[in-house]
Amino acid sequence: MVVKNAPKEVVKEKYVSKDFKEYVRDVIPDKGLDETIARLTPEKIEKTIKAVIGGRSSRIKAVMNTCIHCGLCAEACHWYLSYDKDPTYSPVAKMRMTIWEMLRRDGKVDAEFIKQCARIVFTECNICHRCSMYCPYGLDIAFILGMVRRICFLLGVMPQRQFDQAEAHIATLNQVWLSQNDWIDAVQWIEEEIGADYIDLRIPIDNEEAEVMFLPLGAEPKTGTYHLERTAKIMLVAGVKWTVPGRDVWDCSSMSMFVRDMVTMQRIVRGLYENAARLRIKTMMLTE
Amino acid sequence: MELLASAALYNILRGPLVWVAFLVFLGGSSYRVYTLLEMAKKEKVIFPFISLKATIKSIFHWVIPFASRNWRLRPVMTTMTFLFHLCLVFTPILLLSHNILWRESWGITWWSLPENIADIMTLIVIFTCIFFLLRRIFAPEVRFVTFSSDYLILAISFLPFFTGFLAYHQWVLPHKAMVNLHILFGEIMLIAIPFTRLGHMFYFFLTRSWMGSNFVGLWHTKDW
Repeated sequence: MVVKNAPKEVVKEKYVSKDFKEYVRDVIPDKGLDETIARLTPEKIEKTIKAVIGGRSSRIKAVMNTCIHCGLCAEACHWYLSYDKDPTYSPVAKMRMTIWEMLRRDGKVDAEFIKQCARIVFTECNICHRCSMYCPYGLDIAFILGMVRRICFLLGVMPQRQFDQAEAHIATLNQVWLSQNDWIDAVQWIEEEIGADYIDLRIPIDNEEAEVMFLPLGAEPKTGTYHLERTAKIMLVAGVKWTVPGRDVWDCSSMSMFVRDMVTMQRIVRGLYENAARLRIKTMMLTE
Repeated sequence: MELLASAALYNILRGPLVWVAFLVFLGGSSYRVYTLLEMAKKEKVIFPFISLKATIKSIFHWVIPFASRNWRLRPVMTTMTFLFHLCLVFTPILLLSHNILWRESWGITWWSLPENIADIMTLIVIFTCIFFLLRRIFAPEVRFVTFSSDYLILAISFLPFFTGFLAYHQWVLPHKAMVNLHILFGEIMLIAIPFTRLGHMFYFFLTRSWMGSNFVGLWHTKDW
């Protein structure tokens, strides 16, 4: 029977890993993964892998020598459970397909392999540590996958959005590319907008009499201004002496942490504490 | 077969090789623990967070069957693995035949298991090993991360108990040959421990310390 105008069957192109034949996925374009691997050379890859895991930190060594390959971490992983218990989504499988293979081949892997690793550790794991908590030995599997994220970051291979956020933190110490002037302008604009709602409604900037320093997420002054509005109102009604910092670092988020950019992570945390010290704050209040 | 059943072989296995096996086992294990701790000291973010109280709590929590959620989620696996480990550890230590040897060598004695109980415990080790083998072959999430080393360490653990059982019942091979084989496999197992992932027996306490210290000691969350 021929059905007129029936939609043509869409055959989705599948990616099958050449290293692990059970790893079958839909092809999803992402220029952070597809285009960036063109810059990689085998030497760069090997050098980066050795720099991150070559020293065999005690945590990596502990995992490699203790993991008995029992697979009990599988049912801890929500990715594994959501994908109908596909074994390539289990935490130990993710380790096998990334770091174990890197160690086995002594860092001599190609750009396609790095892209595959990036896909696994950025889009098939969110480092929630559930696996680490459920492992009978207490092996920190999520930490290990975080190290693979670091390797991919240092090689510049990450999902495009993650790339953008990581670079925003490097360049501006916040996740939304705001300069210090943009931040102050935004706070003052929000203060103007809500000024009619309550008498004495302010968003103090660099208030040295403050006891509480509020630190928003980068998105708040840029796309979620209602958050700062509400915080200001709550502080007023609660009678809290508060302030926001007038200079970097004001954004308490750290997308740098998601890509394991240690240097920027340090700059962020140091900047937050330096603001607290400068304003002699008693309590740092983070939005999240 | 003559060599396998010979007194000459027995004397080597019962004499110098016992020394070798125990020295390698104890010395090697201590060395592995020591080097891991030294590595951890250099990492700077490990020792400042280790809490002895949290470590002990965490170890107890995971050494009790069905205490943690993951143990409860997999009752069959939990039962098998606890039975396996308990019988694996306590059968050699409390076995009459082994205690006779300790008394022969050092004049020390301690309590022995009744023979029928020891027999059952050995059978438990044998059957749980078979369970682990089937798991490796048939469970997809385990098969994906199974390599030849996994089969090897399973065999290394299985063989001393299998040959011990056969030796006691005097089945399959002439008794002296089976006893020699049993001693040989037992010594292979002891020697293999520091060099393979059988070393999880001492690493467990260190890795558990890390996870317990972080989640229980530092973050005050459940140890799951």
